[in-house]
Amino acid sequence: MSEEKQKSLLEKAAESQIWKSIFRGGGVPRNRRQRMMSVLNSVFLHLHPVRLPKHAVKLKFTWCMGGLSFFIFLILTISGILLMFYYRPTIEYAYTDIIDLAEQVPFGIMRELHRWGAHAMVITVWLHMFRVFMTGSYKPPREFNWAVGVILLLLTLLLSFTGYLLPWDQLAIWAITVGSNMARATPFLGSEGPGASLLAIGDINFITMGSDARFALIGGRFMGEAALLRFYVLHCIGLPFIIMIFMAVHFWRVRKDGGISTPV
Amino acid sequence: MPDGKSTVSKPPVPKSPAALGKTTKDSEDINRRSFFSWLSFGWIGFVAATGGFFTMMLRFFFPNVLFEPVQTFLAGYPDDYIIGEVDTKWKDKYGVWIIRNDQGIYALSTVCTHLGCTPNWLASAKKFKCPCHGSGFKSTGINFEGPAPRPLERYRIVLADDGQIIVDKTKKFQQEKGQWEDPEALLKV
Amino acid sequence: MGSFKEIVNTISNPTILFTSVVIIFPFVFPPSDWFEKWHRKLGLHHLWSKKAIIIAMIGMIAFFIYGLGDYNFQKIVLKPDNVPISGLIFLVVFFTWLSMYQAYKNDERLEAGQKPDEFYEAPNDKVLVWPDLVYVELISLIIMSAFLLVWSIGLPAPIEEPANPTESPNPAKAPWYFLGLQEMLVYFDPWMAGVVLPSLIIVGLMAMPFIDRNPENSGFYSFKRRRLAISLFMFGWLVLWVMLIIVGTVLRGPNWNFFGPFEYWDIHKLEALTNINLSEIVYIKWLNTGLPESILIREIWGILIIMGYFLILPPLLAKTALKDMYGRLGVVRYSVFIVLIITALTLPIKMYLRWIINLKYIISIPEYFFNF
Repeated sequence: MSEEKQKSLLEKAAESQIWKSIFRGGGVPRNRRQRMMSVLNSVFLHLHPVRLPKHAVKLKFTWCMGGLSFFIFLILTISGILLMFYYRPTIEYAYTDIIDLAEQVPFGIMRELHRWGAHAMVITVWLHMFRVFMTGSYKPPREFNWAVGVILLLLTLLLSFTGYLLPWDQLAIWAITVGSNMARATPFLGSEGPGASLLAIGDINFITMGSDARFALIGGRFMGEAALLRFYVLHCIGLPFIIMIFMAVHFWRVRKDGGISTPV
Repeated sequence: MPDGKSTVSKPPVPKSPAALGKTTKDSEDINRRSFFSWLSFGWIGFVAATGGFFTMMLRFFFPNVLFEPVQTFLAGYPDDYIIGEVDTKWKDKYGVWIIRNDQGIYALSTVCTHLGCTPNWLASAKKFKCPCHGSGFKSTGINFEGPAPRPLERYRIVLADDGQIIVDKTKKFQQEKGQWEDPEALLKV
Repeated sequence: MGSFKEIVNTISNPTILFTSVVIIFPFVFPPSDWFEKWHRKLGLHHLWSKKAIIIAMIGMIAFFIYGLGDYNFQKIVLKPDNVPISGLIFLVVFFTWLSMYQAYKNDERLEAGQKPDEFYEAPNDKVLVWPDLVYVELISLIIMSAFLLVWSIGLPAPIEEPANPTESPNPAKAPWYFLGLQEMLVYFDPWMAGVVLPSLIIVGLMAMPFIDRNPENSGFYSFKRRRLAISLFMFGWLVLWVMLIIVGTVLRGPNWNFFGPFEYWDIHKLEALTNINLSEIVYIKWLNTGLPESILIREIWGILIIMGYFLILPPLLAKTALKDMYGRLGVVRYSVFIVLIITALTLPIKMYLRWIINLKYIISIPEYFFNF
């Protein structure tokens, strides 16, 4: 009895003017045509095609790692925005703000969610790539999308890396010190890289501690406030902006290159 | 605009076909050619301007003024240092070890030449050992183990008028460039 | 039980661990007929059966539980930032198995003249995204969210002492996904390990579809028809990446010395490693003359070796061992491929040179920051 009543309530709701104004077509999709339309008519769902080969819905085949990577990216975006309400990227406050996040803020697991989510995203992106490799899905016509995927992997790692500095604890600055000093060894562009001393006129070096690749990264000759601010901006705005562009291209090309790869 | 010339695509009606036919064609050719040369000028100019703009934008990452701590400090009197010992008291504040041996006193940078970690002085093993990748340095600063490619750097060290030691971190001396021979790299006492 | 820990500690010694992995590897992922034959003879194809993964998982879980009883092992594994690595070990093993299991099944089907498991009759065999895919996605998302929430509530994110620019922690480790790079930094100069090799990994990955021109087997798991590609990729991914990460996490202790997983992290562990350059070996050990003044004369041997390795080896291989491949790929593709491969091989080569003769650099020109 109650089931029937619920069903009809849902149906009633689905036929109301409000529902119809939000979901094009309206109604609960019951037949094949309505189900297809519900995908076609939704801005979010039409990321997908309408119909798929059977193996594309089998977890055994897809592992769902690409989708999960994107989902974790969304989790990280949301939890990251929440963290930004409390975090100030200065040497004076950064560390204490992080402590406060766990102790003074209700539901204080946002930082945990963000950090463990970041670890999980690195793993899911790797496994997604591994699946794509093992199914040979990088072969024509998907070569370009594979390259975009490699860039997305790189950006994921860079996002993780820039986020590492923000707590401004021992773990953070030493990981970044080591990482950014590698930039100093860039051939030609780093002050301690091979070839840098060739870019000099007489005694005047053009690539010095104050003008090399590492300086551009950390905004100073020593690890300090400028580095924190630069990494903060890169982590919160710069890299997410770039990765979203590449993600858009990636998803678009998945569809355009024929959806999930299939045996011929 | 050079584009204006592209409109010359319709052959003008020749007044006396025999005489003018060839010249018209020629002039048309020249027009087209010159149009393309103008176009390429335009493109080169455009690329150069955009390239120049983005190069200037790179400059944005290198500010003209840096707000960094003072790089020079007074390190007490030469007699404060014992011959044959590594003094670590300035390590935390200024990142300098001051070492006195038979020849004199020198100031060693605490920045590992590999990737910039801070090595620890292990008095028992008589060496600086870097915790990051295991580079080892002798008390002179010479690298002898691990991945560090070159010896630790020494800073300029001189005596002030009142007999105190001045360590100046803005001037560095690198052994592999023969700069340790410089009189300011070693304070003779 | 103490002796078991001893054995594990001994096997974990990088020389033994790495050598045995490199030797066993081609038999597990056979790149050629000869290896394939032995792969079957040794029964290694049973690794990709359902029984094997159950045994492996139980074995790994048992090892972890046993290890947690050990103070030193526990300290490493339960460090919050190392937790993902424990998870990673299980996930990598499981998914490697899962892909190989399906690949072997498909190989059998293909051999029997059947279509691979993923084959479908277009367009009759298609399913609708709504509701078939949307539900799978929804369930995955819910499981993932629940998993992350539990993890976040159960394990607080680590925060260490406030930053102190003059005191490096000992050992100072990079984030775990970069520990492979950090491991390379022990054997290479930063410009190689930190800039050139990572760029080559990126470029190499992007170049893969243009080098692997085998048009077969896209869209389903398979091994046999693309075994060279798979075993090369697996070597890079499992050995040079995942394994180096595990080595960096578990086996690197204070002062970046090696420690067994059950070994106490003794900060005073002495490892007298005096590394010498090739030039010093040549001029001081063999010729007894002392290093020459001129940089060029000093480093000429190293330069010759490197030039020989990068300029003479590829054409030589093209004429001999890799003749077939050269014919198949053509000049450009072959050059890109071989340069990537032999550059990747410099890592194990330099590891062995370091372990055997304590070699530091083949070319060492610190005056110009050029060390190789």
